[in-house]
Amino acid sequence: MHLSDDDIVRSISAHSPEGIEALYDRYGGLAHTVALRILSDRGAAEDVVQEAFLAVWRRGSTFQTGRGSLRSWICTIVRNRAIDRLRGDRHRTRLDTPMEGESIEPLTTDPWAAVALELSGEEVRRALAELPAEQRQTIELAYYGGYSQSEIATAMEVPLGTVKGRVRIALDKLRASLGDRMETPWQTQ
Amino acid sequence: MADAMSHDEVADLLALDAVGALEASERDGMERHLATCVACRQAAAQYADLASLLPAALEMVPPPPRLRRSLMAQVYAEATASPRLSWWRRVIASIPANRAFTVVGALAVVAAIAFGVWGATGRNALPAPVAYTVSGTTATGELAVDASTKQAVLTVKGLAPLPTTEVYEVWLIPPQGAPKGVAFLSPGLNGGGWTAVVQASLAGFKSIAATVEPVGGSPTPSNTEVLSGQLAGS
Repeated sequence: MHLSDDDIVRSISAHSPEGIEALYDRYGGLAHTVALRILSDRGAAEDVVQEAFLAVWRRGSTFQTGRGSLRSWICTIVRNRAIDRLRGDRHRTRLDTPMEGESIEPLTTDPWAAVALELSGEEVRRALAELPAEQRQTIELAYYGGYSQSEIATAMEVPLGTVKGRVRIALDKLRASLGDRMETPWQTQ
Repeated sequence: MADAMSHDEVADLLALDAVGALEASERDGMERHLATCVACRQAAAQYADLASLLPAALEMVPPPPRLRRSLMAQVYAEATASPRLSWWRRVIASIPANRAFTVVGALAVVAAIAFGVWGATGRNALPAPVAYTVSGTTATGELAVDASTKQAVLTVKGLAPLPTTEVYEVWLIPPQGAPKGVAFLSPGLNGGGWTAVVQASLAGFKSIAATVEPVGGSPTPSNTEVLSGQLAGS
């Protein structure tokens, strides 16, 4: 039986082991890939993935719709834990995602999240390759290296505002490259 | 407190936050704006989803099967013991990952147990778990048996870490004949204990033990026991 992300969220909310099982089967490979990319250590990556999914299991009521898809939520949890591990900061308590509130809400229909699930690695690689090198390096330093805005500015020897601009422009370009498959337009101010 | 940030300024911060580069000092202002701005919350979700696409460009590296086994053994062990779940959900939870039961089968198990207990006791209550002590040179632990489901969770402390080529295999030992391999101990996190969910009935076995075996297990124990415990009365 195919479970939707909505089904998985509801199952996790009900503290059902089947919810974690389904979450792992759907996103465990992605989580492991992210952790391994950040840590470059198979054992450490496996530890982080297990810790992340156990954290979801033990306090599974923290997912909030409106702040991204289930995919981005689990990616954020795994990434944060892997970065903490990379920095030897395993004892820091992180707010994986919005923690306020105890309720868990069903996902609203999100065209972008649906498209994101269908995008192939090749499409994303192509979109990333179209970015200027300095923009791609900036978001990779942040996402996989755990560098903050000021740390990136220091490492790349550019002003803080440049880092800010590069990240936003890079994501906007990715959206422009990939988002034309969306049924609804990207919301901008 | 007044929200002094423009949508455009917030969008810069949302993009930084999506890739994990937002400075802590800027988070409060961003969150205050998001609390009152639906459009920016939507933009936050979209930036987060965009960032979550970055790993799609990586060559996927599937996790080893043992990671799933270890995770789900821990989850099911905790679910079985969790007071947050009603008795019938704990019974379902005690059915392991990769189980052969279908949902219908699981419900049938629940129904059978419920009717059996009802018939035997006249009350809708399950017997209390039974616990057996296990120990070894360095290890101590407990085998907690659900008297209704006959399924058990073995928790052990004090076992040494193993190389990736070896596992702790759990055996049920009959009065006569060959031991039966029934589970593998999964390591806990951060140097914590080890856990195994034993699905086999303990009836007819005199003791439980664990040995170090090659990954995948062995047909019969090939090393000396690292822990054991008597199953008196089972």
